[in-house]
Amino acid sequence: MQAIRLSTFALYAVFILAAGIFLFPLFSVVSLSMKTADEVFAWPPALLPESLNFATYRYVLQETLVGRMLWNSAQMTFFSVIGAIVISAPAAYAFSRFQFRMHKPLLLLLLVYQMISTLVVAIPLYRYFESLNLLDSHLGVILVYITVEIPFTIWLLKGFFDSIPQSIDEAATLDGANRFQILTRILLPLAKPGLAAAVIFNAIAAWSQFIVPYLLLSKPEILPISIGILNFAPGQSEGEVTIPYLAAASILALLPAVLVLVVLQRFIVQALTGGAVKG
Amino acid sequence: MTPRHQKEAAVSAAALLAAHPGATQSAVKRRAIRMLRSPGNLQDSPFIWLAPAFAFLVLFYTYPLLDVIRLSFTNASLIEPDYVYTFNSYRRLFDDPNTLRSLKTTALFAAGSVTLQLAVGMALALAINAGVKRHLAGTVAVRTAILAAWVVPGVIVGVLWKILLSSSSYGVLNYWIETLSGQSIGFLSDVDLVLATTILANVWRGVAFTMIILYAGMQKIPAELYEAAVVDGAGAIAQFRFVTLPMLKPIIFIALVLTTINSVNTFDLILALTGGGPARASEVVGLTAYQQIFKFMNLGRGAAIAVLLLMVNLAMTLVYLKLMRADRVTE
Repeated sequence: MQAIRLSTFALYAVFILAAGIFLFPLFSVVSLSMKTADEVFAWPPALLPESLNFATYRYVLQETLVGRMLWNSAQMTFFSVIGAIVISAPAAYAFSRFQFRMHKPLLLLLLVYQMISTLVVAIPLYRYFESLNLLDSHLGVILVYITVEIPFTIWLLKGFFDSIPQSIDEAATLDGANRFQILTRILLPLAKPGLAAAVIFNAIAAWSQFIVPYLLLSKPEILPISIGILNFAPGQSEGEVTIPYLAAASILALLPAVLVLVVLQRFIVQALTGGAVKG
Repeated sequence: MTPRHQKEAAVSAAALLAAHPGATQSAVKRRAIRMLRSPGNLQDSPFIWLAPAFAFLVLFYTYPLLDVIRLSFTNASLIEPDYVYTFNSYRRLFDDPNTLRSLKTTALFAAGSVTLQLAVGMALALAINAGVKRHLAGTVAVRTAILAAWVVPGVIVGVLWKILLSSSSYGVLNYWIETLSGQSIGFLSDVDLVLATTILANVWRGVAFTMIILYAGMQKIPAELYEAAVVDGAGAIAQFRFVTLPMLKPIIFIALVLTTINSVNTFDLILALTGGGPARASEVVGLTAYQQIFKFMNLGRGAAIAVLLLMVNLAMTLVYLKLMRADRVTE
């Protein structure tokens, strides 16, 4: 009994330490984002701002392009996630329900794609997209995001389709359903947890994309927030007083991803622990 | 299978049996399979289903991949449209002492990140696992805090840590360190420290992934093994050493390779945190390619570095595939 109590105490110590380490960077930036210029220069620095001051957030959203950039990120994330599902689901169906000669090599090829840095692929895209007239357009970026998301999505959905017994397909066939109907009306609804996981993972990945939009987009008003932040950094604009604004913009940029995580973390942990990672 | 689908399946089988008296269950099933495989239907070719996905992959993945290899043999630049074929990019790449240095920096960054991510990830997974088993309040909250760091975009992680570790007046952490030790630490300005700083930020972001997959692996270890170990008189440490660790071995290897690939490919975080500096002390290969292209507008040399990165990626993927196969065999 004594030993159990002692180890529970030790566990709590680990928990508090971990929570501290993982939350402190976020906390200190939130704190900074609410400080006024005077507070920023005050010495010694205070852990907390003097008041809950949202003026920096208001300024960042109203006077800078950050709001626009958040909206751009949201749009690109949304359309790429939908596109990736629409394109990947039929392929996942084929890998789950057909036997063919290229079955295994193609599946492995998908893994290879997934392991290659997007930087490698992105470098020639500038010239390529220039010739396709897709530079400085969200469409071009979305097409690349979809491609980046496809390998993972196929693997994930294939895993979920595999766990649905073939007898369901057979029964539906007897009812006169064709393969397309089987996929859209039976398999996809049954694979909802897989769809949810694919949407969450792809959305988080798309929200974080950096090099692809950096290369393909140049007009400030169409940039996603991940690149907007980089230009927002002091050093390019000089003067320390910009720092609370940078802090506020950073918090705004990470908030959607963190909110999605907090609300949907059950799905994320389920998908990660369900063998999806192992492929 | 939902009840609705179960019912529908039963009804359709019954209907078929009624229409063909004398048919057995297995005959019904055979007919269903035959209908699924009826020839002449366009839907029955797997390649129709694969075509859209592979069209995307070929257009926006394979083609650029081949193009980057072609570009690496040119003197192409981001501003000049014309170029000629040459080996100069590679020649200069191998002559440049910075190439070796950024490869070394990448290796150190990856080695440090992977070691810490595995060690800390294991410790956290054990703690979360114990917390869940004992129904400790707050376990999910701690897990959420760790996962929250994981979803923050790389560039933002760089900005967060730059603010956190700043030696400016708003740098709370450095103020505390100074108060305690009398001296602030140049996390971002000290040439000998900056790589450790980038590793720290990368581990902060990435450790959730190793934690979660190790935690998942722990759920699959049969409880009897621990019971047997307890009967043999094994304490917590012996249980970890003789049960948990050997049982997790395949997953540890997979985590090892995946985190290595991730770390080798990381550069947006470092770009925002240190920009590769000071004195290029934190410049990883991805950043070198990035700077060749965007700072020096040198597409050819950037492509040559990217090809180098591609080779490293492919080599590690081969290791990963080998491990996966070994894992399948042991299962």
